[in-house]
Amino acid sequence: MIQRLLPFFTLIALFVILSIASPNFLTATNLSSVVRQTAVINIMALGMTAIIISGGIDLSVGSMLALSGLLGTMTMEKEGIAMGMIVGVLTGMACGFSNGLMTTSLRINPFIVTLGTMGIFRGLALIISKGLPVHQIPASFSYLGEGTLLGVPFVLWILLFCALAMHILLEHTRLGRYAFSIGSNPEAAYYAGVPVRFHTTAVYAIAGLLTGLAGMIEASRLMTGQPTGGQGYELTAIAAVVIGGGSLRGGEGSVLGTLVGAFIMGLLANGSDLLGTNPYWQQVIIGAVIILAVSFDELRKRRMTA
Amino acid sequence: MALRGGNLDVSSGEVHLLMGENGAGKSTLMKIVAGMLERDSGEMLWQGGSVRFRSPAEAASQGIAMVHQESMLAPHLSIAENIFLGREPRLPLGWVNRSQMMQRAQRIIEEHHFPLQAHWRVEKLSPAGKQMVEICRAIQQGSSLLIFDEPTSSLSDAETQEVFRIVSTLRALNVGVIYITHRLEELRMIGDRVTVLRDGETVHSGPLADLSTNDIIRHMVGRELTSIYTRAPLPPGEELLRVQNLTREPVLKDISFSLRAGEIVGLAGLIGAGRTELCRALFGLDVIHSGVVTVSGKAVRIRSPRDAVGAGLALIPEDRQRAGLATALPISFNFTMASLNHVSSFGFLNHSAERRIAADYTARLRIRAASGKQLAGRLSGGNQQKVAIAKWLVGRARIFLFDEPTRGIDVGAKAEVFEMMDELARSGAAILMVSSEMSELLQVADRILVMRQGRISGEFTGRCTQEQIMRCAAFESSPATQEEQAG
Repeated sequence: MIQRLLPFFTLIALFVILSIASPNFLTATNLSSVVRQTAVINIMALGMTAIIISGGIDLSVGSMLALSGLLGTMTMEKEGIAMGMIVGVLTGMACGFSNGLMTTSLRINPFIVTLGTMGIFRGLALIISKGLPVHQIPASFSYLGEGTLLGVPFVLWILLFCALAMHILLEHTRLGRYAFSIGSNPEAAYYAGVPVRFHTTAVYAIAGLLTGLAGMIEASRLMTGQPTGGQGYELTAIAAVVIGGGSLRGGEGSVLGTLVGAFIMGLLANGSDLLGTNPYWQQVIIGAVIILAVSFDELRKRRMTA
Repeated sequence: MALRGGNLDVSSGEVHLLMGENGAGKSTLMKIVAGMLERDSGEMLWQGGSVRFRSPAEAASQGIAMVHQESMLAPHLSIAENIFLGREPRLPLGWVNRSQMMQRAQRIIEEHHFPLQAHWRVEKLSPAGKQMVEICRAIQQGSSLLIFDEPTSSLSDAETQEVFRIVSTLRALNVGVIYITHRLEELRMIGDRVTVLRDGETVHSGPLADLSTNDIIRHMVGRELTSIYTRAPLPPGEELLRVQNLTREPVLKDISFSLRAGEIVGLAGLIGAGRTELCRALFGLDVIHSGVVTVSGKAVRIRSPRDAVGAGLALIPEDRQRAGLATALPISFNFTMASLNHVSSFGFLNHSAERRIAADYTARLRIRAASGKQLAGRLSGGNQQKVAIAKWLVGRARIFLFDEPTRGIDVGAKAEVFEMMDELARSGAAILMVSSEMSELLQVADRILVMRQGRISGEFTGRCTQEQIMRCAAFESSPATQEEQAG
């Protein structure tokens, strides 16, 4: 049990150490900037949690984020903020849906499918925008990413709402339970009459929806629609899930774990900035943390089954 | 302990049949001969000298090779590469002499009139074709003893004839052949002598001509010729399942039978007779080519396990770990996996109802688990079996297909599984039970269907003996058998 909580303790320890080491850490400005920086990855990682629990993977979320943000902001230029938001979020959902559909109906490994769509979504974003970012965005759109509600960043409210919704989905609905069953043993789930294809596709579509939302938040923070944005975000999102106890073999993972995982990485990046660590070393540290976290988790599981 | 006292001798130019029931120790004995397993005691003489092989390569170097039931070839390589695998003709610097390899492989193929080309990829070959490649490999190695482990169990009639022709050719070439089989009548034409194993011991060895089919069956089954029903039969209820002319080429042919409420029907047959395939087809895992399935008087089309579950069918598969249980999830999740609708409304789960079900079934089935949260994979084999069955009790399944329910569980757990089946039958379920252990079928089943080569070859109601069933499973169709036995 103590080992299961290890990521949580790591997060607290990191928080305490940074509070002592840097006078600038425990300030409202810095903390809200950490929240804003991690929110995008965090929301994507929530969707990734569901995918990884169901035994899948999605490498295309970085490209998906860029495509959603781009189409959303382009719509916003003419149709206004509300319409732009809807288009952006639905773009992500459609992308996720097509990933799920291809995985289940063509029976191709999701790693390969999303490796392909990673290129396709990125290419589409570049074709549609002709490679140029969108700048004509209504000024009030910045509230989504930069605004404050009741004293805390507005994105934190969005994140908490999404996390709660995903937690309920995974732990308290049939869809969530089927995701665990499919991820743990797809064959047993199929034998038990679980509609495996439908639920797998649904999981990818929901993750796509969250990625679309994350894309709009990213666009709002930068106040541009960037066709080249979000590169490498997929790996950070996967890392957050895995640090939080998700297993790439499927059947394991939790919303709380993923949040902790994403914040550990967020604090590591923030702490390195505050302490003036060489940015090249940041990458090495974060990489080492991923490997450490997963090897501790594997050790725990092996001891449990022994 | 699969083998206790196996004795066998073979001379060159002889086809020696090795017979016995499933699990009698035939394959174990042959694996020792071919160097895949090591013996605990006893002696093996090869060409006059005592030998003990530690690996198949060692046996092969002495001239002993085995043609396996399931092909042991590298599917992505060519026929020639497979024939010469591990002993390729070399050029200096470790290069393989490909042209010489191709030529030599083609020569071996042509000498035996096999319809093959040396450059073909092995994965595209039929099962018979793959066996031909294995035979070529054995010949290339200069084998003087070839062991065939049930080579025809997965082959069509035409392919079977082809294998027989090959065996006859080998005999003419003065090669010794050990041939493991269940199908005696076909082999009368090529077998010279026969050895029968039972419970890991040689019970008979001698010339085939001296034995009648009845003698062989008696040797295979053993002394227990009487059947004992320990289960009190129930008055049969309404008909729950009717199967008419079900066909799935080439494994299931024209199968018709019915199951009534309260009935436990045994399904006997040898490995490869199509019993598991029948369960799979009924449960929607494999496509049915023709035939009608009726559940409680209504014709149903079952095209997926989901349809099957909806129609009230349940399958407890042979391989529980792989297909019956999510071992990394808590047992409570496993209990409700097939019937999540019963513990949820509008898509939301009712956790307290689920906990009640878990506690209820854990107690009722005497499953030894700490709590419903315990992971299913951490239970013992027998308890895992119970969870796999409980999954269907929670739902409203009425027709149960048990595929080898007692495989791999201990005696105590077996009795509990039987009790559970009896309870199910008493509560109005119909049960089809596949088992390779005939004594079990005789103990539990009200009626026994026998399958042979994809067909139902007989049905036994009331008193019958293992001998009768074995005859029906291996040799001939049943009506004649039953009359003959009665007269």
